Amino acid sequence: MSPSKKTIVTLILIALPILFFFGTICIGRYYVSLTDIFLTLWQGLTGNNSGVSAETTTVILQIRLPRAFQGAMVGAALGASGAAFQSLFRNPLVSSGILGVSAGAGFGAALAIVLFNTVFLTPLFAFGFGILAVILSYFAGKIDNTSTTITLVLGGTIIQSIFSALISLLKYLADTATQLPVITFWLMGSLASTKTADVYLALIPMALGMSGMLILRYRLNVLSMGDREARTLGINVIANKAAVIAFATLATAGAVCVSGIVGWIGLIIPHVGRMLVGNDNKWLVPASMSLGACFVIFCDTLCRSLTGGEIPLGIVTALIGGPFFIYLLKKTKGRSW
Amino acid sequence: MTVLRLNNLSFGYNPRQLIFEDISFAVHPGEVFCIIGPNGCGKTTLIDSILGINQPQQGTIEVGGTDLAQLKPREFAQQIAYVPQSHTKTFPYTVLDIVVMGRTTATRGFGSPDASQRQRARESLEQVGLQGFEERLYTELSGGELQLVLIARALTQDAHIMVLDEPTAHLDFRHELMVMEIITWLVKEKELTIVMATHFLNQAFYLENAAVPTRVALMDQGKIAAIGTPSEVITKSNLKDVFKISSTTGTTDEEGIQRKFIVPLKNIR
Repeated sequence: MSPSKKTIVTLILIALPILFFFGTICIGRYYVSLTDIFLTLWQGLTGNNSGVSAETTTVILQIRLPRAFQGAMVGAALGASGAAFQSLFRNPLVSSGILGVSAGAGFGAALAIVLFNTVFLTPLFAFGFGILAVILSYFAGKIDNTSTTITLVLGGTIIQSIFSALISLLKYLADTATQLPVITFWLMGSLASTKTADVYLALIPMALGMSGMLILRYRLNVLSMGDREARTLGINVIANKAAVIAFATLATAGAVCVSGIVGWIGLIIPHVGRMLVGNDNKWLVPASMSLGACFVIFCDTLCRSLTGGEIPLGIVTALIGGPFFIYLLKKTKGRSW
Repeated sequence: MTVLRLNNLSFGYNPRQLIFEDISFAVHPGEVFCIIGPNGCGKTTLIDSILGINQPQQGTIEVGGTDLAQLKPREFAQQIAYVPQSHTKTFPYTVLDIVVMGRTTATRGFGSPDASQRQRARESLEQVGLQGFEERLYTELSGGELQLVLIARALTQDAHIMVLDEPTAHLDFRHELMVMEIITWLVKEKELTIVMATHFLNQAFYLENAAVPTRVALMDQGKIAAIGTPSEVITKSNLKDVFKISSTTGTTDEEGIQRKFIVPLKNIR
């Protein structure tokens, strides 16, 4: 990329999520203007009454702002870990769920719903089992103290199918009137159940994971050369791989535990990023974060405003993401691969 | 003086079935050390041991007097650069992105290469004759160009030893010559030490003809059958014993330069 193009793309990638963030707060059945948002934020900061109605303040601060923020974080986390995993596994078809984090989280959530009959512990269980699934995959794929890309992917695939089977088992055992719908909806993914406390708790692993991936992002280039070359280029392959897996898992588990399983982002967003900034992870990881945030905010806005009810987020990301991806593929003639 | 020394090295993926056994040699600074031998004689496995990728069952490898097993990957890469036999292309990085990875050990912390390191990568590209290739996608290069890019990456590493595993395996005559000219330049001008595995015995003669200090280790069934200068090792009788072929050597004085070469003749049943 030429320096001027780089500057333009960087500016767009910074401006776009901000635009989407404030845009989604305006959109909905209860109309909020941009002025309302800024006045409310100003009021929150200074304590001076700015003359915005109490309902508007509630809609902004209690409902839309946390939801927009959560959407942005979930999208950024899934986009970044998708990019990280694609480089790590040297495979453009890999997504953030490759090591079983989504399946594990799904099982954790279903287990919490069946055991406690409440959604209160769901995020915690989802997070815990998401992490557990990745640890199991890592050790399943570890042979003689090293883990090659192939055995790691195999380990992930095996653990994924085990947890998928366990999810089916829980669905089968669940009370069909009360628990089964909750499990099913959770698995479709949604930002509808945003509570402010969730946002802040899930923020910690997501922020940690994303910071880690940002710090390690150049190493992803080197790791994508394969174990042998990465080693001779001077990096500790085992330690760097483990660190990337740990950070990507933290981010994904943090995202999945509040949003449920939202497919597509970890697969498609890095490819959109590649078309914009190329393959150098120095640019690709932050670009995937920005684009992921925009994509989730956009899809979630459709989820809550297209119909009277809420459409699950996972459905919309796939329905929008699929055709959009085909469009991009045709437009760039697949040159990014 | 030696820069790389193998002491009684043995290795097998299965300890009871060694791929090579009791290998000892010393590589001197500023020479090209060629490892030759039939397919499956253990060349690549031996190279993997020198790269620290497999741990020997027995014996040690010393790099500049230090035990290889004690070197951290970063310290290793500062001394030894590697050009792989084959490279699986995954993502279409630009050529410059690939070459600048040679500066990984020179980047501080976890950072990415800065402008001066990218400049260093550009110089390497120029030195292998690929100026203007910086922004090309490396997935769209020909096999010969890719090989030159990988050599440029190794050159960017600023290590004093370069290990090449069959560097001309898939190349045409022209690119083979380009690689040999670069290797000659690396030794004569950059004062590098080269270890290379090769199937092309005339490459050893090429180096000898170009007055590059060259030694050859002939491997056979996991052991070293002969070691010495190309003229000492690549002989009719050695090739008959190890490769089971008849061959003939000759010289040409085309352009007024004496050049030695070898021609394989026939399989011996």
